[in-house]
Amino acid sequence: MKNFSADKSWILSTLEPDQLVKAKKHRIPRRNLKGGELAVLWSLRVYLVFMMIVVAYQFWTAAR
Amino acid sequence: MKALAGEDQVSITHEDVDRAHDRGRVLDARTRRGFSSQARLLWLLIGPGVLVMLGENDGPSMLSYAATGAKFGIGFFLPFVALTFCMAIVVQEMTVRLGAATHRGHAELIFDRFGPFWGWFSMIDLGIGNFLTLITEFIAVRAGLGFFGVPPWLAILIALAILYAALMSHRYWTWERVTLAAAAFNLIFIPVALMSHPNWQSVGHAFVTWQPVPGFSKDTLLIVLADIGATVTPWMLFFQQSATVDKGMTTKDIRFGRIDTVLGATLAAAAAIATILATAPLFAHQMSAENFEAGQFAQALEPVIGRFGAALFALGMVEAGIVAAITISTSSAYAFGEVTHKPHSLNLPMGEGKSFYAVLTLCAVAAAAIVLIPGLQLVYVVLIVNVVAVLAMPPALVFLYMLVNDREIMGDLVSPLWANMIAAAVVFLLTAAGVLFGVSIIAPKLFAAIGGR
Repeated sequence: MKNFSADKSWILSTLEPDQLVKAKKHRIPRRNLKGGELAVLWSLRVYLVFMMIVVAYQFWTAAR
Repeated sequence: MKALAGEDQVSITHEDVDRAHDRGRVLDARTRRGFSSQARLLWLLIGPGVLVMLGENDGPSMLSYAATGAKFGIGFFLPFVALTFCMAIVVQEMTVRLGAATHRGHAELIFDRFGPFWGWFSMIDLGIGNFLTLITEFIAVRAGLGFFGVPPWLAILIALAILYAALMSHRYWTWERVTLAAAAFNLIFIPVALMSHPNWQSVGHAFVTWQPVPGFSKDTLLIVLADIGATVTPWMLFFQQSATVDKGMTTKDIRFGRIDTVLGATLAAAAAIATILATAPLFAHQMSAENFEAGQFAQALEPVIGRFGAALFALGMVEAGIVAAITISTSSAYAFGEVTHKPHSLNLPMGEGKSFYAVLTLCAVAAAAIVLIPGLQLVYVVLIVNVVAVLAMPPALVFLYMLVNDREIMGDLVSPLWANMIAAAVVFLLTAAGVLFGVSIIAPKLFAAIGGR
């Protein structure tokens, strides 16, 4: 990566600290999912997988 | 989030410099007063919202609208399509707030906040949806240019060349302006609609009364799903948030981000409604058009709107395919970079963004190559791709809902109650529509029992 020392002050005053590429290397901490949230996520996952099977079935019958 | 300790420890990248130049112009415009400076600020800050909305008016979406007009004419679907764009505004505005508040892309936030297990699920949804949609974009380009006698291989090459040309500058700003200019051609459907001489009284009546309402059948349900999928899809969430971040928008820009989103939705809704009006004469002539490709719609419309109008219609389909190919392949590349923590920005020079540009190009080239395989029946992919988008939307919306209400990353910018209620209603409606679709396929008798035909 190239350093742009001449522009540094101007760049740092123009961009917010979190906008710098270097700042984005810090990961945002993970949060714990609650029981209700997990239940919703799993329900929608099952729904999506099931619906994709339905779409694949319809695709197969249409292609026959 | 942690701020950097001091200037000396900060290394500045090429990407930072380019973004700072863009931000410098915004900050400069913000210091001035008056109408012209506000107009300049708007000019500088519009982009992601207009691009995502006009990008979603893509090949399969325009074909869905064309099929809607041909199958149902002027009636229920005119206000319905306008309503779906209102829904898109509510959903997409959340991505503007998320991007501006966190400066992180959507895929990155899902991975970081919920972990790789849920992150990979959402990436698989996005990857499959994007790739299927990309195939249909090249089908639209092939069919649209086919109307002018351009051979398929040349049509695909032209599309890939335009996609590559938009990337050549390695500057987000230039890419955005080039793509915006191309996206403006989506409005070509408006003069086409005028050429079909719509009955404005019927149009007004449809908007006021939502009449005539089509019968509840499997075909109607498929069109409802396709029209919803033509306005809200998972790639739009990922794209607008990543583009908001790449553009360098901050919390001070959210108001303009909202204007950008509403403007985009208004333009896209106008083009969508125009497409329904343009093909409504086919309904009057009782023409069966459900399996039409772009070129066939143009040919069918030729007796009604003339050769010039039909050519405009075909060109509109070409534009829809090309702009969507650009935005969708970019959304895939952003998401890949975000989850692998590799550089991901349109401000990157080729040397620093090899993986970003490689993913973007590979997605587009692979989809384009599939379209060129002789004898491969892809018509059904075009019809089903919007349905797949609707089915994948509820899980994507729940992630969005959870992120935008996460006070640790959003602070005071969490969603207000009314926005959450609308988001919950959208998730419920999309899921219910998906379940009804499933019932119509696997239990047709049950579907008939609840009134379906």
